[in-house]
Amino acid sequence: MNAVFCLMLLTGVLAAALRGDASGAQHALLSGGGEAVTFCLEMAGAYAFFGGLLGVLRESGVTAALAAALRRPLMRLFPFAPGEERAMGDICMNLAADILGMGGAATPAGLRAMRTMAGAGGARARASDAMTLFLVLNMCSVQLLPTTMIAIRAQAGAAQPADIVLPTLLATGVQTLTGIALCKWAARGEESA
Amino acid sequence: MQVGRKGGRKRVIDSSYLVPALVVFTIACGVRARIDVYGAFVRGVREGLLALLEMAPYLCTILSATALLRETGVLRALEGLLAPAFALLGLPQEAASVVLLRPLSGSAALAAVRDVIAQCGVDSRAARLCCVISGASETVFFTGALYLGAAGVRGARHAVPAAMLAYAAGVLAAARLV
Repeated sequence: MNAVFCLMLLTGVLAAALRGDASGAQHALLSGGGEAVTFCLEMAGAYAFFGGLLGVLRESGVTAALAAALRRPLMRLFPFAPGEERAMGDICMNLAADILGMGGAATPAGLRAMRTMAGAGGARARASDAMTLFLVLNMCSVQLLPTTMIAIRAQAGAAQPADIVLPTLLATGVQTLTGIALCKWAARGEESA
Repeated sequence: MQVGRKGGRKRVIDSSYLVPALVVFTIACGVRARIDVYGAFVRGVREGLLALLEMAPYLCTILSATALLRETGVLRALEGLLAPAFALLGLPQEAASVVLLRPLSGSAALAAVRDVIAQCGVDSRAARLCCVISGASETVFFTGALYLGAAGVRGARHAVPAAMLAYAAGVLAAARLV
């Protein structure tokens, strides 16, 4: 992101210089931050509301129940090397929190799971099959409800802010299943090579 | 929720029931678990607001940069450059910034989505598609760096290519669905 950001600013300023429109560039640079502040304030209400709902779900034990329900299918999905299955609790918690859209709870559990799996095989430079699959699952979205997108659409005055939910879910499904399939296929290809 | 294409005449369920239904479900869960629903809600609100506050500096940074690219015409040039490829894939060219930024940064993609909404209108196909793409994906590179760093492992093997191909599949699926 560092390189991308530097490139964005430099090409922007360069383009402004080429067009001889320095005042336009200056205006954009100085007003962009203000736009962001307004945007945050406009989004705050919806963020707070969804945060509240998630708080109730978490304290009701819904995350833990979902994590328990995921245990059996995930046990079958993950190609654990000996010792790696000790990360199962954290893996279930991470994915359950991700599904419900609780990024704050998902990341610590995910990092713990990665550390446990890395420790299981002794020192290694490369990720194991199970680690790679877990990584890909976290790089694909498994979130059930795109709350931020509902919020941004509501704030912009959409007729039906939540009508993107079904296509989003289907696109997420395609993405995650493709990720799992590719992961399994690549791991098998390496094994036979 | 609309399933039909263009205008979505075929309405399966009215999506405005979704959030109220979620409220009923959540309250039911809270009451069943006999927790302090009010207190839990307030704690959740605090977490939601803190998450937004944490994201704010990134949004400020990236919105300055995207505003610059939009004002100076760089963004339009980039969209024009990618237009043939995007047209081939059934994607509107206005979605270029979102499609390119989403795997890199969540806040950058959010800033880009906001831009597309402002330029094309919130209920335009481009804006809806950008919302679907953004909502259906993750920050591939950031997540990868974070998780590999935590494990102290350098070789990610096929993780990044697999995730990026999966992302491409998700984007193409979104283009067919919206």
